[in-house]
Amino acid sequence: MNKKLIALRDGFLRPGKSFIEGDIFVKLSALFMGAGYFRRKQFIKGLLITIFQLVVIFFAYTVAVPYLSKITTLGTVQRESVFNFETMKNEENDYDHSFKILLYGIICIVILTAAVIIYFTNLVRVRNLQLLAEKGKHINNIIEDIRAYKNDKFHMTLLFFPILGILLFTIIPLLVMISVAFTNYDQNHMPPTSLFTWVGVENFKNMFTNSVTISFGYAFKKVLGWTLVWAFFATFTNYIGGILLAMFINNRKTKFQKVWRMLFVVAIAVPQFVSLLLVRNFFADTGIVNTICSNIGLTHILQNIGLVSENITYIPFLTNPGWAKFMIILINMWVGIPYLMLIATGVLMNIPMDIRESARIDGANGFQEFTRITMPYMLFVTGPFLVTQFVGNINNFNVVYLLTQDVYVTLDQALANSRAKEIDLLISWLFRLTNEYYNYKMASVIGIMVFIICAIFTLIAFNSMIRGNKEENFQV
Amino acid sequence: MKKTIKSIIRHLILSVLAIVWLIPIIWLFCTSFSAYPGINISKFFPEKWTLQNYRLLLFDTDTVAQFPNWFMNTLMIAVFTCIISSMFVLMVSYAISCMRFKMRKPFMNIAILLNLFPGFLAMIAVYFILKSLNMTNTRIGLILVYSGSSGLGYLVAKGFFDTISKSLREAASIEGASQLQIFTKIVLPISKPIIVYTVISAFLVPWMDFIFARIILNSGISSEQTVAIGLYRMLDKTLINSYFARFCAGGVIVSIPISVLFMFMQKFYVEGITGGSVKG
Repeated sequence: MNKKLIALRDGFLRPGKSFIEGDIFVKLSALFMGAGYFRRKQFIKGLLITIFQLVVIFFAYTVAVPYLSKITTLGTVQRESVFNFETMKNEENDYDHSFKILLYGIICIVILTAAVIIYFTNLVRVRNLQLLAEKGKHINNIIEDIRAYKNDKFHMTLLFFPILGILLFTIIPLLVMISVAFTNYDQNHMPPTSLFTWVGVENFKNMFTNSVTISFGYAFKKVLGWTLVWAFFATFTNYIGGILLAMFINNRKTKFQKVWRMLFVVAIAVPQFVSLLLVRNFFADTGIVNTICSNIGLTHILQNIGLVSENITYIPFLTNPGWAKFMIILINMWVGIPYLMLIATGVLMNIPMDIRESARIDGANGFQEFTRITMPYMLFVTGPFLVTQFVGNINNFNVVYLLTQDVYVTLDQALANSRAKEIDLLISWLFRLTNEYYNYKMASVIGIMVFIICAIFTLIAFNSMIRGNKEENFQV
Repeated sequence: MKKTIKSIIRHLILSVLAIVWLIPIIWLFCTSFSAYPGINISKFFPEKWTLQNYRLLLFDTDTVAQFPNWFMNTLMIAVFTCIISSMFVLMVSYAISCMRFKMRKPFMNIAILLNLFPGFLAMIAVYFILKSLNMTNTRIGLILVYSGSSGLGYLVAKGFFDTISKSLREAASIEGASQLQIFTKIVLPISKPIIVYTVISAFLVPWMDFIFARIILNSGISSEQTVAIGLYRMLDKTLINSYFARFCAGGVIVSIPISVLFMFMQKFYVEGITGGSVKG
């Protein structure tokens, strides 16, 4: 058995072992968590842990039990207005709010899990105290215990609030939304007016079904396909473009290098919601680019070679599926290349000079130097970054949303039925489903799919990178 | 002779590229001075120049455009977000980089896992949590949303702390300094670059984000919004023809401070991303 598993098993067995081997006060601690501390004269600690125990028990009875007892059904009492003859007013009954039951239920589970962990580690701690006392070693008083949080346990002090934040604002919300994927929470089941309940894996089945009434299967395939194509092109066009631009600017023959770099950075320093909304109007059907194109006759030429339909008098930059996809990738290059240029500049400056010089002495020309030295070095240094970029692009919402929201209308009825558009990424589809159509159940399914896809790519990439680790090649 | 021609071509190509990159910015700047309030679709440069848009935006607010309010809201949110997230990021990255404890590796793995989930997915539930605490449509709610899980973005700063030599900390420890003192009196003072980077990037978030802000501040009351959603709404189909020039003026006003901060930050950005990975 491997080491990690043994460590894990021992971790689970330790509280039990402590209980069995411990003296009567350790055993008592299983009932009154403070008992062991009182025995060792750690009165404040004992008092605190007793208060903690009482609070948890009180919490469990008043909050956790009521919510957790309903979590299997997510509520049964629908909201109704009842006319009360005494007050002569409509009054609402004591209804169940499915989402609150789910949310608070999960919060309760998290809190109770934490309490159970504290309960078991408490046993181990009390047993350790006993061992210390038996060996006649010094037992910390409360001030020494607190001081430890500035020293040996300083990481706990540092991590406490950040982890609490992550728990509250990421982990619990994610658990809730993952659960929603297994319910029928949508526009027809919106609390507080109506209830929703568990439906098992039905939503996942629907996501891959293509029938007369459900077109999610069709839409999912299309959107997923475009998401992957987009992520691929967005990552690599920017990567290669950025490196080329950086090399061009950093070349010894280029004058005023800093000024050139500045000019490109200005473009990305403007917030995206300003620059991209502007570009969207720039390329609108009745926008200025179209005016110019039709003035110089470009629209006509494109019509003649069949790239623009004869029925329209403008180039549908952001309104035709093909054109829009092309433009989105193109405009994303405008957004992304300066970033990559900056990063590539930093990396290029770090290439060990002697590697380059020895290559030149061996007679390598510029192209060989690029393919044999510059690129491998770039890939080595920016490899992990490239993976995060790819995953980031799968979740890159801004470009697609800002360029096409309110502008792009899909003509594909099957896509429209499942609220998708040709140019949608999974993430923008998810956003529209929740924000405009309140279809939380399908949005959660898509969210889980996005997670699975990102996880697969990350795993593959990191695995192959570790296997092909060429660290020593570049270490001088 | 051949060299000069080559050099001219090289700089010509760069100029063309630079112009392509700057056209939208130039258009933004010019249109912000246009006397015509909507989009001029026939000419690139405005026909009549005026300062009217800036005057309207800054001193003459209406039900749609409340720019001074937006600016103050965003500034306040940004300052508090910046303080909380910077502290969280520096604390987490220092703990992960410089201290060794049992939960270190598990924490890093969980962080990678959590970062693979799309951000909005959690946002829907966060919205309901804030709603049950009556904190939607408040600045505090939005500050919590921006800074709550900021600890997950510790990687760049960790890369920096990894470069600080271990012997420095060990020496301090032998001299009798506590871990707290080592962190605040020894490591932080020599970590100015990464502190600047962390602070600026946290400060910029509320200025750039329009998605989380739109979900949390959904009352539709203009004076409560942030710059990003306020300006975004100006481009509604019904409003664009009377507000486009003012949108551009607003864009210019927010872009200037952001660009300055961004320029200042970019060199740390590069160091952070490349530095961390070289050391592996």
